[in-house]
Amino acid sequence: MEAPPVTVMPVTGGTINMMEYLLQGSVLDQSLDSLLHRLRGLCDNMEPESFADHELVYLLKGQQGNPFILRARRSLAHPTAPWHLRYLGQPEVGDKSRHALVRNCVDVAASHSLPDFLNEMGFRMDHEFVAKGHIFRKGALKVVVSKLSRVLVPGNTDNTEPLSLSYLVELSVLAPAGQDTVSEDMRSFAEQLKPLVHLEKIDPKRLM
Amino acid sequence: MADVMNVGVNLEAFSQAINAIQALRSSVTRVFDSLKDGMKNKETLEGREKAFITDFQDNLQSVNRDLNELERLSTLVGRPSESHPLHNSGLLSLDPVQDKTPLYSQLLQAYKWSNKLQYHAGLASSLLNQQSLKRSANQIGASAKRRPKVQPSTLVLPIQYVDDVISRIGRMFPDLSIELFRPNGTSAVLLVTLGKVLKAIVVMRSLFIDRTIVRGYHENVHSEDGKLDIWSKSNYQVFQKVTDHATTALLHYQLPQMPDVVVRSFMTWLRSYIKLFQTPCQRCGRFLQDGLPPTWRDFRTLEAFHDTCRQ
Amino acid sequence: MGVTCVCQVPVAEGKSVQQTVEQLHKKLEQLGAMKQGSFFVDCETYHATSNASGQPSKLLYVMHNSETPLSCLALFEGGPFLTADANFDVLMVKLKSHFQNAKGHKVESRGARYRYCDFLVKVGTVTMSSSARGISVEVEYCACVVPGDCWNLMKEFMQSFLGSSVPELPAVFSSKPEGLFVPTDCMDTMSQYLELFSKVRKQQVLPGSSVR
Repeated sequence: MEAPPVTVMPVTGGTINMMEYLLQGSVLDQSLDSLLHRLRGLCDNMEPESFADHELVYLLKGQQGNPFILRARRSLAHPTAPWHLRYLGQPEVGDKSRHALVRNCVDVAASHSLPDFLNEMGFRMDHEFVAKGHIFRKGALKVVVSKLSRVLVPGNTDNTEPLSLSYLVELSVLAPAGQDTVSEDMRSFAEQLKPLVHLEKIDPKRLM
Repeated sequence: MADVMNVGVNLEAFSQAINAIQALRSSVTRVFDSLKDGMKNKETLEGREKAFITDFQDNLQSVNRDLNELERLSTLVGRPSESHPLHNSGLLSLDPVQDKTPLYSQLLQAYKWSNKLQYHAGLASSLLNQQSLKRSANQIGASAKRRPKVQPSTLVLPIQYVDDVISRIGRMFPDLSIELFRPNGTSAVLLVTLGKVLKAIVVMRSLFIDRTIVRGYHENVHSEDGKLDIWSKSNYQVFQKVTDHATTALLHYQLPQMPDVVVRSFMTWLRSYIKLFQTPCQRCGRFLQDGLPPTWRDFRTLEAFHDTCRQ
Repeated sequence: MGVTCVCQVPVAEGKSVQQTVEQLHKKLEQLGAMKQGSFFVDCETYHATSNASGQPSKLLYVMHNSETPLSCLALFEGGPFLTADANFDVLMVKLKSHFQNAKGHKVESRGARYRYCDFLVKVGTVTMSSSARGISVEVEYCACVVPGDCWNLMKEFMQSFLGSSVPELPAVFSSKPEGLFVPTDCMDTMSQYLELFSKVRKQQVLPGSSVR
């Protein structure tokens, strides 16, 4: 079948080509409090914000190539808030000089019909988990300290089991493509968290 | 005619009595004159004393005689008649020159008027005392001392009673949902939701409705800080119009002795808006006039009319 | 968000689309309606390039409405619907290997927006591949949210400027399981536009219906 012409830019709104710069690390449960105190001291003066989210990871398998992955998140603490749908691209290869992992990122706020809609689009839920933790900001930098738990009975977020004895620590920035100076800022911020936590550039592909 | 005869006889006795009084007065004067003059010059002291005493005795006797005479006459005169309704002013009717000075008939008219006036004033005052038109205590002004006593008690009803009345009304009308708030002290504010048509905010003072504002079912009733917004008007012309009519209804339904009846009547009237968008005008038969549905509801029959069709 | 009714108005005989639209404007202005800016509604069509199950793929529509400029509405014919923010468009670009945009199928309606009391009237020219294909009229009664309550009232209003071409009650309302007596949302409006747009698209196939 002849494919109809694909428009280069059917976009009427939205922010195109945003990149996520990411550093990751982890901290043992025992050291959590010291890390939180350190972060409160370093970050913007704000009340620490906690969150409890349920994330569902959807896959769309095509005829060829890798499946298309979308992450749908909803807040357990604020059930009426919109869902958050996130697309994360493949990490940019090469460029060893950069200090952070860089990948394409699209964030969409969506209505509660999102799971049904994704199913209709052909997406299938691959796995789900619950993330509970704290969020800090310093300018454009975002620090998320969260505990990941697996969902024992599909769909039941009350019945969970922690994945490990540690907390995941993520330092991320959203910026338009090409602004590599932010990775410098991230590195210097990460330096200040040592030795409580070592934030590193981790390529998810290596772990697969 | 007997009266006239009587009066004639009495007049005779009167003139005699007046003469007797004059005689009594002159004899009394003589007693004091002789006492004032003292003893008269006589040859001997005994002679002087004797003459003075006999003189004095004579004078006293004549006083006594005149007094007796007066007493005798006074029984003849009798008491003045007290049977007349206007008491002594009734005697004016006896004035023979009545034609020239119609005092008496004028007096009677004035008396009648004053009687009526007093009667009506009495009625009015008792009515006014029952139906206090004062909706706020501050308007009285002058009689500051008496103010607290004069106030009718319906302005200060226990909170519990107000709650009861409101919840009873809420149960009466299943399509009206009434929520009661007390954002500032004891005065209640009602949020009335009528079906899926409109929301009305009713500001109460005790059981008196002070103010009402009507908005659309999907409009905000809370301001940004989460409080009930009792001031800003609806964005829609139809509900601005309904607000105006509801304010008219507040003034129409007034029965200060039974404020709960007023609230009930108002709610009954408000409930007739459940078919605001569904009922055509009872006069012109159309739904729209100048882009508005029939926003007026008759106070008695609750029939729907356009504002301009209601006369 | 009030109750809306979207309908297609036939082009008057011997007149062009533009002339018919102007005629409608004149009628509205005579009625006392005030012009308040302009509006647009557009609709992109996507279809899946492949589907594992082998069933014929449904078409995915992504729509925008100038009344909700920061939102993007995605829908399949017959549901489900999704309301998302404007980044959904970006996501569709990312998804282009799975969902292809049928560019030639982009339909939009643009025109003037009129206000008359609590009514909002939008008269739009429906264009597809940059040629005018019809006229859409959207009437919204903003003061009421329940279609069953105010339908007769709206009909009377539409009669006053559309004359005989007044539509029947939109099917989106009557097909709801709860009936006519639930509040409407913007999806009701958009699915009416979608219905109108697909009618316009099919019209194109008919030989005798060429419109200027």
